[in-house]
Amino acid sequence: MNIKILLSGDGGQGIQLIANMICQAAFETDFHVTAIPNYGLEQRGGVSLNFIQISDKKQVYPKFTKPDILLIMSPQAKERVEEYQENGELKLEIGDYESILKENNVPKQSQNIFCLGLIAKILEEKEILKKENIFELLEKKLSTKPGWEENKKAFDLGNTL
Amino acid sequence: MENNKQFLTGHEVVVQACIDADATHMFGYPITPGTEILSGWIKKCQDNKDLHFLQTEDEIAAGFTVCGALMAGSKSFTATAGPGTVLMQDAMGMADGMRLPFVTIIAQRGGPSSGTVIYSQQEVNLAIHGGNGEGLRIVYSPSTVEELYVLTRKTFNVAWEYRFPSVLLTDGYLLKTKQDVVLNFVGENVEPKPLVSEHTQKNIRNIYTFEQELMDELTNQKQDFDEMAKEVTEFESYKVESCDELIIAHGIVGAAARDAVDELKKQGKNVGLFRPITLSPFPKDELNKLCKQVKKIMIVESSMGQLKDLVKQNLDTQVEIDGLYKPAVGIETEEIIKLFK
Repeated sequence: MNIKILLSGDGGQGIQLIANMICQAAFETDFHVTAIPNYGLEQRGGVSLNFIQISDKKQVYPKFTKPDILLIMSPQAKERVEEYQENGELKLEIGDYESILKENNVPKQSQNIFCLGLIAKILEEKEILKKENIFELLEKKLSTKPGWEENKKAFDLGNTL
Repeated sequence: MENNKQFLTGHEVVVQACIDADATHMFGYPITPGTEILSGWIKKCQDNKDLHFLQTEDEIAAGFTVCGALMAGSKSFTATAGPGTVLMQDAMGMADGMRLPFVTIIAQRGGPSSGTVIYSQQEVNLAIHGGNGEGLRIVYSPSTVEELYVLTRKTFNVAWEYRFPSVLLTDGYLLKTKQDVVLNFVGENVEPKPLVSEHTQKNIRNIYTFEQELMDELTNQKQDFDEMAKEVTEFESYKVESCDELIIAHGIVGAAARDAVDELKKQGKNVGLFRPITLSPFPKDELNKLCKQVKKIMIVESSMGQLKDLVKQNLDTQVEIDGLYKPAVGIETEEIIKLFK
């Protein structure tokens, strides 16, 4: 088993933060984890990627071409990951959740946490980890920071869809 | 979960390896993708007062500060990348001439010039031959995060044991990769010692009056280097038994190639991998031995052919050469598999 996850979004959207949560939670299970971030010179506004592999066998080469789960959080990111898109992978595009996010008043800065909820659910279904594993890390990292209530709601919303 | 399993980036692994190698001083100037080695080391200096650092005004100053500290007997090193590797050549050239145990960690990025800040395998020539004259250096190329640890430790050991400048040649991908690792090194650290003691006079030279003097010195250095090579040269031959075709790759591309070999074997294709772990001294004998048994070699690298040139220099066997040369981009396992369709 080797689950390949490619996360993509604009710099500043919090791609690296949710990547760290997924990887840390997976590391605390018995699986092997390999992750590599990819971004350019921009501090903000460029495309930010993270390639994650969670596997029962050690994966030494960090990059891959065919993700099993592909998260796209912006039109710019969609363009950047075009070569990684093909039929078969589970594609999570933020645009497809626009009305749900609006109905539930999810602020823009919590959209990454909503996506983290979505991915946590998928990984739980695949019996890789439990959503609580990720939520605990999230709580540790963000609960004392502004916007925690919104982030908590966003995570739950993603996780229950 | 294994008790000693850790979740670390390549940068963190390198810093840990330097500490475990008993290095005490780092002099450097930050440059992506090697910056986190300097910042990680500085962080360790806050907790451990036996560790020291100086961020100099540029790589030239960093390199010459390393030279001075080494002569005084401190296990010092630097880390750099891309255009920084170019500036570092001045001091590395002095270390070549004076045979200083100069340790450099090179984090390859794309070039020419500032190029990209991410990844390449384009600094092979600079690492081996970057100085003026024909300085002799030991160059390791690790393929995995765990090997990064082992080879960083070895880089210090060979530098101090044999007194040749030694390079750990890695890249932005390997350094930024975060992975579960078990760090393990078998062997003792080689003790540093001052090259000049306090009350004796010794002239370690990097300039000569007569041409013949320099030639004699270089001839001696070459003899020592060839002698050292017997002990230090390293390579990996992976599933090469009776293979028809041989992939040659180094560094992180070697890791992708190893996975490709596994997949190709499953498809019934008889392909093996030869991975030089020391690019200098190059494992020439083993390369030629393998090339006698195969019909074709396939060189795979993230440069326009720096590994190919090394292979050609060392090859004295007639064999068909093909390759995949992709300057400054990564090469995934799937791409290597496709070469054998």
